[in-house]
Amino acid sequence: MPLALQQLLLMVGKDLRIEARSRQTLGLVVVLGLLIVTVLGLGLGGDSAAGFGATVVLWVAYLFSGVLCFEKTMAVERSDGALAALMLAPTARATLYFSKLITNLLLMAAVALIITPAGVLFFHFDLSLAPGAFAGVMALSLLGFAAVGTLFASVVSSSRLQGGLLAMMVFPIALPLVIASTQLMLHRFRDGLPLELVAVGIIVAFDVIFLTASWLVFEIVLEP
Amino acid sequence: MNQPRTAETAVDDVVSCLALNKSLDDRAILRGIDLTIASGEFVAILGNNGAGKTTLLKMLATLSMPTSGELRLFGQLVPRHAAAARARLGLIGHQSMLYRDLTARENLLFFGRLYGVNNVGNRADELLSWVGMSSRADDAVRTFSRGMTQRIAIARALIHDPDILLADEPFAGLDVAGADAVERLLSAQHQAGKTVVLVNHDVGQSLRLAQRVLLLRGGRLAVDQPARLNDLQDLHHQLSQPVGRG
Amino acid sequence: MKSARSILVVAFWLLVAGLFAVDLCLLRTYTPTEITMGPVQKIFYLHLPVAICTFLACLITFIASVGYLWQRRIVFDDLAWASARVAVQLCAVVLVTGMAWGRGAWGVWWTWSPRLTFSLVLFLLYCVYLILRSSVEGRQRRAMVAAVYGVIAFLDVPLVYLSTKLMKDIHPASIELEKSMQLTLLAWAVPVLLLSGGLICTRFRLNRLNTQLAEQTEHESQAFEPVIRPLSGNVARA
Repeated sequence: MPLALQQLLLMVGKDLRIEARSRQTLGLVVVLGLLIVTVLGLGLGGDSAAGFGATVVLWVAYLFSGVLCFEKTMAVERSDGALAALMLAPTARATLYFSKLITNLLLMAAVALIITPAGVLFFHFDLSLAPGAFAGVMALSLLGFAAVGTLFASVVSSSRLQGGLLAMMVFPIALPLVIASTQLMLHRFRDGLPLELVAVGIIVAFDVIFLTASWLVFEIVLEP
Repeated sequence: MNQPRTAETAVDDVVSCLALNKSLDDRAILRGIDLTIASGEFVAILGNNGAGKTTLLKMLATLSMPTSGELRLFGQLVPRHAAAARARLGLIGHQSMLYRDLTARENLLFFGRLYGVNNVGNRADELLSWVGMSSRADDAVRTFSRGMTQRIAIARALIHDPDILLADEPFAGLDVAGADAVERLLSAQHQAGKTVVLVNHDVGQSLRLAQRVLLLRGGRLAVDQPARLNDLQDLHHQLSQPVGRG
Repeated sequence: MKSARSILVVAFWLLVAGLFAVDLCLLRTYTPTEITMGPVQKIFYLHLPVAICTFLACLITFIASVGYLWQRRIVFDDLAWASARVAVQLCAVVLVTGMAWGRGAWGVWWTWSPRLTFSLVLFLLYCVYLILRSSVEGRQRRAMVAAVYGVIAFLDVPLVYLSTKLMKDIHPASIELEKSMQLTLLAWAVPVLLLSGGLICTRFRLNRLNTQLAEQTEHESQAFEPVIRPLSGNVARA
């Protein structure tokens, strides 16, 4: 196995072990997500809410939960200065970026697996039309979201956690994902139209552009 | 300029700075530092806050790059060959640079594997007993006192057997027992033939531990002399003077 | 030297004001009224040049941010900030004129049309940039965070544009431009461009002065008197 991949797995394993040990992030984030879904469900009038509110509800839940995940995974490195030790070790910065990204994605996937069924359930969202499309679009969107979130979390120092700062930065950047995925879902599920390639293309373009840009900027700005 | 390794050049310079400058946005932090540190030396760097001690140490650790001037570690120019230099140096600071939710052993195993250390399990156990923490090897770092954490931090810094140990005010926040342990570990490293560079506030302690003392004032190397306990008063006096502008 | 600069500055702003005055007259007398939307369409002549200048200001912020990440010099940060401030101001004008146009032409203050949505998101993107700056302490740290965001935000702009195009546009506003309309547009573009440039330069200069002042005061430290006099001891207590 190439060294970079070994180190990547080592770092992701370390993050997951710390998460399992401290049990800080996952529980908090899942419960927060469920609360958001509940609040929105009730706020939209309970059963009288339209069936297609699911995407917005899920997006709001993902956005807030996601930002918390990103803050926490980076805080692990900053709280005792372990980041300096990582930078001294023979690891490429790219490895560090992608290990954090993968950790974030795994945590977000865990969150999504719980929150998505809840949203679908509470809002009577009929996914049977194209469940694969739904899962695929959400997965691609979360990838782009995590790419930017990982970068921003590394720059915003979390030693003085300014609640909401990271959220404020990531949300507007993520809007194309929100718009594209929502339009996709509306057209596919509400209007029954086939999947729009343009919209999918925008999400994919977002992922490619921001994976590359975030990785490159991360390499430049990372400081212990 | 690679000199052939002969018996005379066996004691080669671990650190070599030539006209080293570091500026942060037009504000000079280090000015014209000329410094060589030979293999096996124990050097203490003194200076007030803002004098540039930590900046200099960070540069020696390749965590910060000089604005101008030449920095060589192990004979190799730093920005280009920083990675090779990093494999041979270890750093401890006032933060532990450990993961507090992992155990002492897990921390050492993680960093050891990152460095590609062979038989990392044995190496970790060896270091744990060397710093006197074998009995707490499987406890989370979170549960340790500051002194114990610093000992594990030293073990972490030495996991890959570096030739030079850089220490940035490692005694900060330690009680007498903790400080004594760190002092003995640093000395032990020195006695084993390794180079130690210590940034410290306590002049007396530094004179006791080190062979050679450097004093930074306003980013310049004001003093570079062998460490003699008789110089305590004089060094104290120099540190108390305010630095003029410019 | 200073007075010569002041005269130039005053002359510049008078010129800009004058051009705007001329353009207003132009709108009233020369420019034809568009058929479908009526006189309110004339907001377009202000709206479009300001929109273009907003984009240019965002571009300047992007370039300056890249410059900072590359060189780590505060001068780039000062420029990025100045330009972002003006971008937000201009974008506010774009939003307001866009909404007024919509109200006048189709009777609604707001609709989630591609154009309005794009303006809103752009406005928010750069508002975040400004607020970000006030939330981070330490000049270097602040410049770094702002630069990272400045780069990412600009890369986001085309994606926002494309994604808003997916939204239904019930009020398409494409217009055929006659010769006289084109000339009016050009006439408006000049003072708007000058105004934007002038605002950025003014702000940039102010930022530079502030930065230089901050650097000076950091250097001045007060020496502590070697002989410490006893305190007076006359402290009144209730």
